[in-house]
Amino acid sequence: METPEGIDLLLRPAGLVPRALAFTLDLVIRAAILLALFIGLGLLGTFGMGLAALLLFLVQWWYMVLFEVLNQGRTPGKQWLGLRVVHDDGTPVGWTSSLTRNLLRFVDMLPFGYFLGALSCLGHPVFKRLGDLAAGTLVIYQEKPQARPELPPAEAQQPPFSLTLDDQRALIGFAERQSSLSAERRLELAAILAEPLRTTREEAETRIHGIARGLLGPQ
Amino acid sequence: MQLTDASVSIRPRSAWEALDLGTLLARRHAGLLMASWAAVTLPVFGALSLLLWEQPSLALLLFWWLKPLYERLPLHILSRALFGDIPTFSESLKALPGLLRPQWLASLTWRRLSTTRSFDLPVQQLEGLGGTKRRERLVTLGLRSGRAASWLTVVGVHLEGALWLGLLGLLYFLLPAQLVQSWSWQDLLGLGSEWLWLEHLSNLLYALVLIVWEPVYVACGFSLYLNRRTQLEAWDIELAFRRLRQRLLGALPILLLACSLLLWPADKAAWAAPAPPPDATQAGPEAERLRNQPLTGEAARQRIGELLDQPPFQQRETVTRWRFGDTTDEQQPGALARLLETLLQGGKLWQGLEKLAQLLEILLWTALALVIALLLWRYREWLRTFGVRLRRPASQLPPLPKRLFGLDVTPEHLPADIAAEAERLWQEHPREALGLLYRGLLSRLLHDFRLPLKAAHTEGEILQLVRQLERAELSRFAQTLTRHWQDQAYGHRNAPAATRDELCAGWRALFAQEGRA
Repeated sequence: METPEGIDLLLRPAGLVPRALAFTLDLVIRAAILLALFIGLGLLGTFGMGLAALLLFLVQWWYMVLFEVLNQGRTPGKQWLGLRVVHDDGTPVGWTSSLTRNLLRFVDMLPFGYFLGALSCLGHPVFKRLGDLAAGTLVIYQEKPQARPELPPAEAQQPPFSLTLDDQRALIGFAERQSSLSAERRLELAAILAEPLRTTREEAETRIHGIARGLLGPQ
Repeated sequence: MQLTDASVSIRPRSAWEALDLGTLLARRHAGLLMASWAAVTLPVFGALSLLLWEQPSLALLLFWWLKPLYERLPLHILSRALFGDIPTFSESLKALPGLLRPQWLASLTWRRLSTTRSFDLPVQQLEGLGGTKRRERLVTLGLRSGRAASWLTVVGVHLEGALWLGLLGLLYFLLPAQLVQSWSWQDLLGLGSEWLWLEHLSNLLYALVLIVWEPVYVACGFSLYLNRRTQLEAWDIELAFRRLRQRLLGALPILLLACSLLLWPADKAAWAAPAPPPDATQAGPEAERLRNQPLTGEAARQRIGELLDQPPFQQRETVTRWRFGDTTDEQQPGALARLLETLLQGGKLWQGLEKLAQLLEILLWTALALVIALLLWRYREWLRTFGVRLRRPASQLPPLPKRLFGLDVTPEHLPADIAAEAERLWQEHPREALGLLYRGLLSRLLHDFRLPLKAAHTEGEILQLVRQLERAELSRFAQTLTRHWQDQAYGHRNAPAATRDELCAGWRALFAQEGRA
């Protein structure tokens, strides 16, 4: 996705499994709310029943829409799983599209238990169900701010050759992910670059750490 | 295994994204995966059904229980397809017997109900590990992806159920209503042997559901496994390093030059040296400056401050206003408390609630009425257009013309007995007499027969319209009268006296009774 300003935005569409889990979570929350309402309002006689009927309508039909529009495209279930609803172009979802995609849930449910929705979700390249197709919306993973991992201590060095963006990313990634790699694997990976770096296999790792620190600059 | 041949972009993903990658992978090779799955499972299903024709449930259970064995084939196809070596349909089927043998007993017994089945399968089948080694490997791999693999199985179980019921529902919808009504549920639930085929049919639907879902399930487990290994072994970094190495070693001479340049004693600390604090090198806006002149910076700032405090920049005014005393503040909570008290007094809460319910009901109805009114107001233009269109058939008739051919045709301006008047006028004013008759005819046509005459019609057109009424006498009379009138009006030829009697008699015959009645 590219904005008019020429900035590339990466949208990562979410597939069936996390979406099904998010939906189940929302279903449980809704059921809990309704149960509590009926028990609480059942004590109040006709008035309570009337109110409960109103709230049933509200919860059943507007729960998803209200949460999606007012909470940046995230119902509680989606929030839990780190999902978000946006338009196809990445803009926040609006009233019209949210209503469309949630009213068309009933088409997705046909003939039983999200049969059409599941098939459409499995078959579509960006995992859209029919409601999403009609409303032009997309369920994506939310970007989570991540803490920058600590780099291993090393003296900053200048790389002895020019590096493309991908190369720089790989070098920094090597330094950042060294805690999740085994020592043998680190050595093996660093040895690939030992020859171009003009060092021995054993020292290559330290060199790469140094270059990574030099690329990142002072923290 | 050559990482450079991988057909997907290798990077560490979150577990959920790895599952989605699996879905895409299954989608890319959907035809082959589904065809090979169907080719393996449907014969097995058919054989089981035939063998256990009397016990459909047992057949289904056995078919379901053998699932781990069928799953080895899609994994084999996927693992080869990932590195660009897509096997053909017959090749993959030929590979199947070899795939089934290792650890088949374990797969079908104590590992059958494992929730991470799809994730474990690659370790067993692709790495060929067994026993303790396999368990250790799974512990390492399953640290972070185990949860997602379990959820995948849970979702898969429910999805299979939902798809199965969906297919059954679809089948049920397609049945004619008469057939459904004649079913009795005892027959269906009872063990009548004539319904066995129905149970086998529903089993078949389950087998069909598996054709769609199982390749996805296996592919998701496989991609989870790939993702975990990418994370643990940094496959993406290895790829990038290899690419870098290839590029650099290709350009060795330039590299040598670069290395010799690097031998210069460069100031290595410069890359990591902390930036100096900004105030030390450059004076900020708050720092003291211009100290060696009559108007120092400090004095200038003071004078600017004074200027900004004066009228053109600052408008000050004093406003005196009456305010309520503090009494209201004290009254409010008291009033609220009293209201609550009255509401709660002596079991009146109930009545209060009933009243509240009524109030709410009234409010809701009012809101509904308001919304309708608002809608009507909002779409008033549209309604007006639409309403006029609706009304038109009822009041379709345009106002009747008062004059035709310059003749006055309103009944009020005509004498009561037109025939007698015409007879009287005939001798002295034959033109007026004929004109009167013609006017009378037009007037009758307009008002009695409701003929839509317009000022633009010619005599001939009027005759045609009269003919459409399909009244022979009227038509003949109108024709004669028109001919004589045209002779008189345009040709100034007087009609013979015989015509007078003929016309007047015709008139009387046609209209006299009505006039009297």
